[in-house]
Amino acid sequence: MTTGAIDLLVVDDGVALRGYDCLDVVRVEEVAGETGGYRVRLGRLGPPREVACRGVLGSVALSAREIRPVPEALRERIAGEKPWAVGLTGREIYLLY
Amino acid sequence: MVSTSGVSALDGAREELLREASIEAEASGREKAQEESAPARSLLLFFLGAEGFAVDLAHVRKVLRPSRIARVSGAAPEVLGLMNCQGEVLCVLDLRRVLSPRKETDPLPATEGKFIVVILHAGKEAGFLVDTVRDAMELPASSVHPVLESVDPSRARFFEGTVAFGGHFVGLLSPSACLNP
Repeated sequence: MTTGAIDLLVVDDGVALRGYDCLDVVRVEEVAGETGGYRVRLGRLGPPREVACRGVLGSVALSAREIRPVPEALRERIAGEKPWAVGLTGREIYLLY
Repeated sequence: MVSTSGVSALDGAREELLREASIEAEASGREKAQEESAPARSLLLFFLGAEGFAVDLAHVRKVLRPSRIARVSGAAPEVLGLMNCQGEVLCVLDLRRVLSPRKETDPLPATEGKFIVVILHAGKEAGFLVDTVRDAMELPASSVHPVLESVDPSRARFFEGTVAFGGHFVGLLSPSACLNP
């Protein structure tokens, strides 16, 4: 947590790429049925919660310099759960929850 | 034959006319001088379709061509997403949707061939997708007129005035209103 890097579990929520701290992940389950997708259970570091997603893409390590604050113009325009940061690599942009 | 008194009357009238003209010319000169010495405003002119807009260049950080924009789930309809702008995260908004928030169900606009005008005001920054960027122009501050009464009241809050350009009126955008939801 204080090593200047973070390992993220990257999931596709159908619109964007979300990153969750791997240390917070309890389990990843495949959802059976028509809707399909995956359910990510979190709560090792914080309160227990579940996230539904379309796909699990793997993990990625981000260094501190690849983590940026969420632009205020975006933060003000998101309803519901807001990302705490944005991961920015040469290839991708991740929203960190 | 014209009487002496008639000539005097004519001369008097002419002199009066010349005096008035001189006073008017002086006043006009003063106005012109005031206009010339008034602080100029540098504006960036751009278009959404055929509709022209302007924004004060003091608030324009840069103008970019869009690159890959990452969408954001749960964001307001005007949010196109996030863009990597030379190592900085830029929130890109669709100016058309900012100005007409009712068009929520419209598909996301294509960004190819368009421009992003990055506006910074009071520490808040965002990029606004526009169709074309025309020109930067310098006008005396007196060229900025009040917002036209014909502008829809729900839209009027996004403008700080109106500028005449090329025989048309263009809306001068308020950076603060455009940046704040």
